[in-house]
Amino acid sequence: MKIPDELRFTAEHEWVAEPSGGVVRVGITDFAQDALGDIVYVQLPEVGAQVTAGDSFGEVESTKSVSEIYAPLSGEITAVNQAVVDSPETINSDPYGAGWLVEIRLTDPEAVGSLLDSDGYSQLTK
Amino acid sequence: MTLLSSPLHDRHAALGAKFAAFGGWDMPLEYAGGGVLKEHAAVREEVGIFDVSHLGKARVKGAGAADFVNSCLTNDLARIGPGKAQYTLCCEDATGGVVDDIIAYLYGDDHVFLIPNAANTAEVVRRLQAAALNGLTITNEHRDFAVLAVQGPRSTELLAQLGLPTEHEYMSFETARLDDIELTVCRTGYTGEHGYELVVPSDHAGRVWDALFGAGVEARACGLGARDTLRTEMGYPLHGQDLSLDITPVQARAGWAVGWKKPGFWGREALLKEKADGPRRMLWGLVANDRGIPRAHMEVFRGDERVGEITSGTFSPTRKVGIALALLDTAAGLGEGDQVEVDVRGRRAGMTVTKPPFVTPSVK
Repeated sequence: MKIPDELRFTAEHEWVAEPSGGVVRVGITDFAQDALGDIVYVQLPEVGAQVTAGDSFGEVESTKSVSEIYAPLSGEITAVNQAVVDSPETINSDPYGAGWLVEIRLTDPEAVGSLLDSDGYSQLTK
Repeated sequence: MTLLSSPLHDRHAALGAKFAAFGGWDMPLEYAGGGVLKEHAAVREEVGIFDVSHLGKARVKGAGAADFVNSCLTNDLARIGPGKAQYTLCCEDATGGVVDDIIAYLYGDDHVFLIPNAANTAEVVRRLQAAALNGLTITNEHRDFAVLAVQGPRSTELLAQLGLPTEHEYMSFETARLDDIELTVCRTGYTGEHGYELVVPSDHAGRVWDALFGAGVEARACGLGARDTLRTEMGYPLHGQDLSLDITPVQARAGWAVGWKKPGFWGREALLKEKADGPRRMLWGLVANDRGIPRAHMEVFRGDERVGEITSGTFSPTRKVGIALALLDTAAGLGEGDQVEVDVRGRRAGMTVTKPPFVTPSVK
């Protein structure tokens, strides 16, 4: 199970990339996509939506189950990956790359430091 | 509760299977490098092999065995001859609710082999034993046999490579040998594709599994995840969801598996009455108009009026859309092409009423 060192993580199996200009890219982890199985449907918020850390902002659904996606941090959605809405299997094949979900402009860019690092997340998935 | 496991469990683990509990058994859900979509596609387009050893096995033997089974289960064994199999139901006598759905293999007047569902086998055997006449033996052989389902357009080619019989017609079976192993090759399945189910003594299951994968026809190991999407596309009921003690064969459109003219079978009076009065609800198919996947127990609405409940729902890998089986209230008067809404976790998803199957079967 891949857990890239340069990312931050939540206990709900989301990943958060290094902020760039106060904006972070967010997705679900390799562990999460593997546990879900083949993903066939993704529902994401609209650009401009406000999200609150810990609240559900979307859903990923596989052939066998559905999982909510929780906002790892608070802020405003600045981009939505239309490619995964059209081809949800991209999340299975490339969860940390082409399978990203949204970008969030953080209310508090420093809050990224509160998330798990790769070692911390790795402990959770054992 | 300790889960039972298949004699092929180690082979599944070696293939990187994810396991799930089903009917008290720990069975492969999907395999590493596969997944529900690839495994589903393999069966529709090539050939897939499932371990379905969790399925029950029971045997009724002795003078009058077939007559006895025919006086208990719904379908009419007189419609078939020896060497043929039949889909039938074990119903609760008082209500007509379904205790289990079963494939009955008719060997002869004095010998019937039954394949019930894993979770219901003990109960079906108990009911048959309680009703049995002197001279009949009813044995639960659940763990004595493994069942391997070889399903898909290339299943015939695969079995032919091993010298196994393939020419017998749909819903019939033949006894055969693979080296020194005696097995039964049934032209049955739960996928809607041309296929076979091999009933193999448990001790030899591993050798037969290895032979199937070594036959020279590329086959994919398939788990219960794909089995569920395949059967749902066909509208085949799953006991515990689309059939149950609360759901009669009349409601589930399984009246074709009832020998209405037989003098007796469990549930006869209740079912005849329900058929005459008209059932209060009927099983229909639903196809999602847009994205959103219906799931079991979701409620179906027409405007503000609740008109039914989904019994099975999934994403159809073939049609790439959400599909469901649902019990709809007869009073709502819904029929093919009508529009309903399904409450998908608080959102209303528009769906169209249809008659299953959702995908054209090619079992023959």
